[in-house]
Amino acid sequence: MALIETAGLTKDYGPVKALDRLDLAVEPGIIGLVGANGAGKSTLIKILLGLVPPTSGRATVLSMDVSNEARDIRKVVGYMPEHDCLPPDVGATEFVTHMARISGLPRTAARERTAEVLRHVGLYEERYRQIGGYSTGMKQRVKLAQALAHDPKLLLLDEPTNGLDPTGRDEMLDLIKRTGTGFGISVVVASHLLGEIEQVCSFLLAIDAGHLLRAAPISTFTQHTPVLAVEVEEGADRLTAALVGRGFRARQDEACVLLALEDERLYDAVRDAIADLGLALVRIQQERRRLEEIFRDAAPVAGSAP
Amino acid sequence: MSAVNSTATGSPSGSIYDLGYRHYEGKHLGRGYALWSLSVESFRSVWGFGRPTRAKAAPFIIAGLYAMLAGLQLAFSSTIATEIQSGYSVQLLTYDSYYRQFDFFMILFCVAQAPELVCRDQRYQVLPLYFTRALSRLDYAVAKLAALTSALFVALIVPMIALFVGDVLMKPDTLAAIGDEWPKALPALPACLLVAIGMASISLALSSFSPRRAYAAIGLVAYFLLMEVVPAAIYAVGHGGQVNWAWSDDLLLLAPTTTLASAVNWFFGTALDSSLPSTLSRGDFLVAAIASAVVFSAILLLRYRRISA
Repeated sequence: MALIETAGLTKDYGPVKALDRLDLAVEPGIIGLVGANGAGKSTLIKILLGLVPPTSGRATVLSMDVSNEARDIRKVVGYMPEHDCLPPDVGATEFVTHMARISGLPRTAARERTAEVLRHVGLYEERYRQIGGYSTGMKQRVKLAQALAHDPKLLLLDEPTNGLDPTGRDEMLDLIKRTGTGFGISVVVASHLLGEIEQVCSFLLAIDAGHLLRAAPISTFTQHTPVLAVEVEEGADRLTAALVGRGFRARQDEACVLLALEDERLYDAVRDAIADLGLALVRIQQERRRLEEIFRDAAPVAGSAP
Repeated sequence: MSAVNSTATGSPSGSIYDLGYRHYEGKHLGRGYALWSLSVESFRSVWGFGRPTRAKAAPFIIAGLYAMLAGLQLAFSSTIATEIQSGYSVQLLTYDSYYRQFDFFMILFCVAQAPELVCRDQRYQVLPLYFTRALSRLDYAVAKLAALTSALFVALIVPMIALFVGDVLMKPDTLAAIGDEWPKALPALPACLLVAIGMASISLALSSFSPRRAYAAIGLVAYFLLMEVVPAAIYAVGHGGQVNWAWSDDLLLLAPTTTLASAVNWFFGTALDSSLPSTLSRGDFLVAAIASAVVFSAILLLRYRRISA
């Protein structure tokens, strides 16, 4: 069963197109939803939750349609918003219990679940204190706990590491990974930090300006075609032209030439080209292909459509 | 539990009692239960239950002041009851005029507590958490309206009960007095309910437009004050002798607390306040009170239908 499917999903905010004919099909797992600020990540999540109606197109979550089965979707989905969403003058226990009851858990069950999920996210004695006195890291944990309170099948996390320090971020990512792998809960993590996505996700959705750039298992992004960076003092443009002329994929990035390392002969070709042009070589370094590059490669990859 | 679960808390000192994350196998109740839960929680928060002590101060003091005079009459009548044997009764305060005389406290109650109910969730952006659960947007508004209405109803009915007990205790034969008195007191139930819905719908509808408590409170004070004073002033000018504006009578139907207090007279079948023009009947005020409740409830629901989350 597909976790999320969309077809021609479009959302206009006046003249701004937040999503533009988005077609997706995603299987259960930990899915990274990556894009720059304003790429449409939050809009997509809000449409999947039924918080915002799409302008056109359709979307399904766990085979339920967002436009007419939103109520059923909400029963099995947990949502952690990007922004602060906690009132400061109640304790975490009280707040999560209340939210569990709003999700339909009877009073005693709501209390038990609250104790369990707060422990799962790593809040202990401090859970009785007022949320207003919490650190950002603790607040993020409470936000995750309330999303887990009713034992959802799918978690939608919008920028879960927002505002966290490096340690807090690692802990949150670890928590997300454990939640997503150990307990059969699918997770969609929206983030603009690609490093995070690489750490926890098994599948990656990259969107930009409302378009799908890529949808594929994360390994295909990070393992294929490592990049060779060749830095020269000047004449990077000539070197690029020379290497392209020899049939290699090369692209200039300021003083560097980035090359797709597909062929061992590339090293010889670089040596020869630099020698022929008489350039001053600064460094040759193999870089692991970074996820950022998918945003520079303009053309979406085929096979992303369902 | 399994190895997977024992690592689930991330605590290095994971104890053997820690079962980690577990799936919930129990019941999921529906929308009605969610609505009920939110109503109860909101009702409790109006009175400051489950909150720090200082949150209880405002509602209890204001409601206490509102009920105080009825309480005094109760205390007074019960002490002198033995001296009154001739059926003569002391009745300074009556069921039908109590709200008219002390409505100031109920306005204060709304100003203090209605913004608390709706502004907090907007200010701290809690609404998306509600709207992604079993509850719909309209359910949320309905739950808040039900909570404030029932809280106001409690505040309004307490002095009515005090008056009733006082009247009963003043009679030598208590049992017979209960039989005599309850038909007279009974209209207080629907009357208090109408006043409660009327004030709750206005207060919540206006408060829901501001995420800031202070602005909402100022808006409520302005509405309750201006809508009383302005129609009354125009009416006074219209009948001051210089001009004769017959239409200025109808403006009084816009005054929120005057309208509610006069609608109370309809339930008891008693005469309107003598300062009101004879062109307006009790029925007119009842219709105006119901219309106001309907309009403001509709504004509240529309507000939550459109509110961004």
